[in-house]
Amino acid sequence: MSKVRSQLSLIVVLMSLGIFFLLPMGAAFEYSIRNGLEGGYSFKNYLWAIREEDFVYYALRSFWLSSLTVVITLMVLVPLLTWIHVTKPRVQGWIDGLSLLPLVIPVVAFAVGAQLALPDVVKNTVLELPFLYFILSLPYAYRALDIGLRAIPLKTLVEAARSSGANWRRTITTVIVPITRTAVLATVALTFALSLGEYTLTVLLHWDTFPTWVTFVAQENLLGAIAISMMTLIIPFLLLAAISLLTPSSKNER
Amino acid sequence: MSLVVQESGKANSGAPSTRGATIHPALLTFIPLLPFILIFGFFFIYPIAALVYVSFLSNENTFTISNYVTAFSKPYNQGFWNSVKLGLLSALMGAIPGAIAAYFLEIKGSVKIRRVIAALNGVLANTGGVPLAFMFTAALGIQGFITVALKYVGIDLYANQFSLATFSGVLIVYLYFQLPLMIIVFSPAITSLRKEWREAASNLGASRSKYWRHVGLPILFPSFLASFLLLFASGFSAYATVNALTVGNFPLTPLQIGGLLDGNVSATQLHLGKALGVVMIVISALAVVPYLLIQRRVARWTS
Repeated sequence: MSKVRSQLSLIVVLMSLGIFFLLPMGAAFEYSIRNGLEGGYSFKNYLWAIREEDFVYYALRSFWLSSLTVVITLMVLVPLLTWIHVTKPRVQGWIDGLSLLPLVIPVVAFAVGAQLALPDVVKNTVLELPFLYFILSLPYAYRALDIGLRAIPLKTLVEAARSSGANWRRTITTVIVPITRTAVLATVALTFALSLGEYTLTVLLHWDTFPTWVTFVAQENLLGAIAISMMTLIIPFLLLAAISLLTPSSKNER
Repeated sequence: MSLVVQESGKANSGAPSTRGATIHPALLTFIPLLPFILIFGFFFIYPIAALVYVSFLSNENTFTISNYVTAFSKPYNQGFWNSVKLGLLSALMGAIPGAIAAYFLEIKGSVKIRRVIAALNGVLANTGGVPLAFMFTAALGIQGFITVALKYVGIDLYANQFSLATFSGVLIVYLYFQLPLMIIVFSPAITSLRKEWREAASNLGASRSKYWRHVGLPILFPSFLASFLLLFASGFSAYATVNALTVGNFPLTPLQIGGLLDGNVSATQLHLGKALGVVMIVISALAVVPYLLIQRRVARWTS
């Protein structure tokens, strides 16, 4: 009896969430495949979007900018956090605190500051974006890596590697990164997703990436913009869901 | 490079390096810190410091607080009020159902269910912004499925000139990243509720409601409050969604700052936008700093 009742509460919650999330999504999808005045359904808005030259251009641009952000994040944070966990320096508390600071600053205010302060040499190159994205994802990336490194006996491993003659670079690439790959992967996914979807800072600094291009498209073809939006919501969700369902569950997961 | 590092390794093991050509070991130990400090300082601390400094400058570059005087008068005070109201309401409306959903998903959901929901939450909370705005333009537009369906059952959304570019329209859309965000940040608190506590309570004769009143809710409350504060900060400073929904003509502080930055809106004071930004930082800090402090406390209890 109570078993049925406890399952019932879960079903009610799942159904409410399902209606809440899927109803507008389904409605928007239905709208995006309407055939206009002729009636019926077709994928013509999706085909239009994919065939747009700019679609590929901006998708690729967002992709490499996000990849670069990931590279910067890993190159800065992996050595930094390894060093922190091995030597436990007195500045640790400060660095932990600093890493959380971007959470306090609204992105709009940060954009005004960046626009105001960064020299023109920096502002004139799109390469400023990966560094700014690095700042925006820092609170999450730092924490994800920190938790991963805390879970392993890092000091012992590093001492073992170093006394076996490995230098620091070798210690990081062949010992630390492989053993913390779950945390590193989580950091990569998080940083990548955040940079890929970043809109506010990008548009306020007058750069064009995939998300800002969509708002531009909307001005000439709203249905096309809706189709692209549906793709950017549904495709990552399906990918993420597939990846997480295929990953075997760890022992401490119920 | 590797040679230098080997050297410092030897120094650690008790044989001090005497070769003068290598970098001083004390300096060497701080090398991992250097890139972080440089990037963080140049791309974050410096812009924010400049923002605060310039917000106190007049058009003639003399010290003034007149930017702040303007920031707190019409129409900018209305922008702050709307932003705070939107932050509070969207946080409240996302936090309560989000907490309940997180509870049932964590306690009763299978691993698979939780993972699918987590994937959905991640996409909506992190990349939601602009796509969400267009999703609702389609779903609640004048010919959208939901509008037509509601009309069919007798509710005419557009009878009272409903528009997504109004306070309540924006509020609805915000819930679609606030509720997922709540599930993400509140779920860890649910997992930290130990089964043993409930068993201990019931062994001592506590009823279900007594357990919740004296054990469950007091333990969850700090995390709930912290999550609420984070949701407030996220709703208060959100820009993307509302910019896409309203084409920037809605009295909210982030949009007003955006307008000033773009030069779409002209102000007699050049540095008004900076003052608005600083006030936003202060309001946001009032929520995020307590959030961080509570989180740290909670982590100490539960680890």
